[in-house]
Amino acid sequence: MKKKILLMGNPNVGKSIFFSELTGVHAVSSNFAGTTVDFLEGRLKIGDGEYVLIDVPGTYSLDPSSEAEAVASRLMEDGASAIICVLDASNLERNLHLAMEVMQYKIPLVFALNMADVAERQGITVNTKQLEKELGAPVVQTVAVKKQGFDELIKKLGEVLGTPVCGGSHCGKCPSCNHAESGDKWLSAKEISGRVSKKNSASPSFMDKLGMQMIRPFPGLLYAAVVLALLVVVVVFGGRMLRMPLIMLTDGLIIPMFRSLFEWLFAFFAEGDGAFSYRYLYYNDGFRTGFRVFYDGAFRAATYEAYSAAAGGFGDILLNVLIGEYGIFVISFQWIIALILPYVFSFYIGITFLEDSGYLPRISVLFDNVMRKLGVQGGSLIHVFLALGCAVPAILGSRTATTKKEKMMIAAVICFAVPCISQIGALVALMSAFSWHLSVAMLLFAMFLFVATAFVAGRVIKGRVDPLILEIPNLLMPKPKVYFRKLAIRMKHFLKDAELPMLGAVFLAALLAGTGVLAAIANQPQVQFVVSGWLGMPEEAVVSLVLGIVRREMSVAPLLLLNLTYLQAFVAGVVSLLYLPCLSVFGILAKEFKIGFAIAIFAGTVVSAILVGGFINQVAQIFL
Amino acid sequence: MMQTSLYTAETTGAYKVASVPEIGLLKNLGIREGTRVSITQRYAFGGPLLLNIEDSFFVAVGKDVATQITVGRIS
Repeated sequence: MKKKILLMGNPNVGKSIFFSELTGVHAVSSNFAGTTVDFLEGRLKIGDGEYVLIDVPGTYSLDPSSEAEAVASRLMEDGASAIICVLDASNLERNLHLAMEVMQYKIPLVFALNMADVAERQGITVNTKQLEKELGAPVVQTVAVKKQGFDELIKKLGEVLGTPVCGGSHCGKCPSCNHAESGDKWLSAKEISGRVSKKNSASPSFMDKLGMQMIRPFPGLLYAAVVLALLVVVVVFGGRMLRMPLIMLTDGLIIPMFRSLFEWLFAFFAEGDGAFSYRYLYYNDGFRTGFRVFYDGAFRAATYEAYSAAAGGFGDILLNVLIGEYGIFVISFQWIIALILPYVFSFYIGITFLEDSGYLPRISVLFDNVMRKLGVQGGSLIHVFLALGCAVPAILGSRTATTKKEKMMIAAVICFAVPCISQIGALVALMSAFSWHLSVAMLLFAMFLFVATAFVAGRVIKGRVDPLILEIPNLLMPKPKVYFRKLAIRMKHFLKDAELPMLGAVFLAALLAGTGVLAAIANQPQVQFVVSGWLGMPEEAVVSLVLGIVRREMSVAPLLLLNLTYLQAFVAGVVSLLYLPCLSVFGILAKEFKIGFAIAIFAGTVVSAILVGGFINQVAQIFL
Repeated sequence: MMQTSLYTAETTGAYKVASVPEIGLLKNLGIREGTRVSITQRYAFGGPLLLNIEDSFFVAVGKDVATQITVGRIS
């Protein structure tokens, strides 16, 4: 059995930073409760021993009140060789309560007294020596975001490992036994905190004052408007600025590189190189497979055989499918890197800052009254903000929800009404071809959809939603090192998670188009009726409905190649917003809920997308 | 000590909690009988209360919870 060391503590005390620093495995941290909802493992070497360090989800108590907290108490029950218990110096009493619950297990312990800098700012000083005596275990002062105190922590950990915590199983004399037997842990926590810490009235710092202003309705709502407007500006304009260099990168470097590679490979395998390259050029110019075939409108006749014959060989077709004007490697890099990535990057620049500063809980409190009328509570807004990045971590994060209904409602709202940033990027690109009115109309529709979904889900889903109970963290200026590392991790994940499915989706598209399957689908009278008749879209648009199943932005991106009218672009946006979330979301829904819920969400999104999109089209047709 | 519902308590002065509903998260945050609270902000239109707990940290508590918490004035 692997020897385990648990990293425990209240939510938002900086455990994930400890974990990253100690193991080199990067856990994502934020400044609000519940960033880590599942545990992470990493290797930790202490002296000659190899251990597994487990980043336990933050918990206020071992008596769990949410799924995320239940994970923590289960890990505790499983036992460990030692525990690192992280305490927030600025909030000692509540942290000591958990410490005492942990001490009951009589596992060797080291305490890390973290956030000493924040405590100091608030005029709180903690007597570490005294605290060590009270707890009967080493206490090390740390400032995790500045990497202070880690060496000392590991040293102390080495010392306590293998040392029994108390004389017998119930010696009755050591601090562990005392605390285990004390009936009222809150009272003991209060007493210890009173003995070891002093609070001088410090004049509130600038950040404390700003934090307080941001949460009061006035001027908090003004701040909220400014923050949201800034986020939009960063995403939309920042994204556009980033596109230029990235287009140069894809069109100037990456794509030519792959083109040369493939041409070389094909020339190598082809007999008679002259004929091949001639055929390739001729073919590339005169005939177009893959996407082009489809968009030319000539796709009805374009069966695979016909093209094979016309092009004169399988190799040519393959080459074109791979790297032709609309080839797999061209489209997937152009879309992912030059179209989607700029928006993803600019979004994470903004949202990561908001997460690490502790702003999100504040805006959640400001809008709790509105959210409550919609049948959810303000705390759910945090998940919605995260879902604007990606629905998968947002749905996972909703494990902090205290009731099943709340979790289901968050998932439903995210799936129906909250587009992910990849999709937003594609939508922005589509809408930017038209006047700004269209973008505003789209934004208003998205907000309407959000309200409508919450309203309907609140009535359809049985159960109850607990009212808001949310700890408000100190407002902090994100530390550049932690901030940029988190940004880098997110971009890496995006490239890893997006590029492969995108390649797959584009490959699928080329295959479906090249083999005539797409044409066959589009030619079905029922499909024609829905796509052209009811939705009023060009029949080629069927490709986005097919590919949109794989990834969200694919429900929009193929439309960029069609010359849509004003109305068609709006209808396409509506359909895409409501339409299926991606396959990964289906996976996560099936895992987190019953499969029936996942299927209901998927069926619901498809049906509502077609119904609402078509309804808008039909009504608009009457007036136009 | 006269007891009132926390939701209708005044924003000035400090209170001691007299009773709380059976909600795990509330208990785990240390909001229980005897806890010292003051109301930092009350939000309009059925919004929550922003509470200062033991002069140490802030917790926002929705209206439906706040009405179930009873408190007695201490200053």
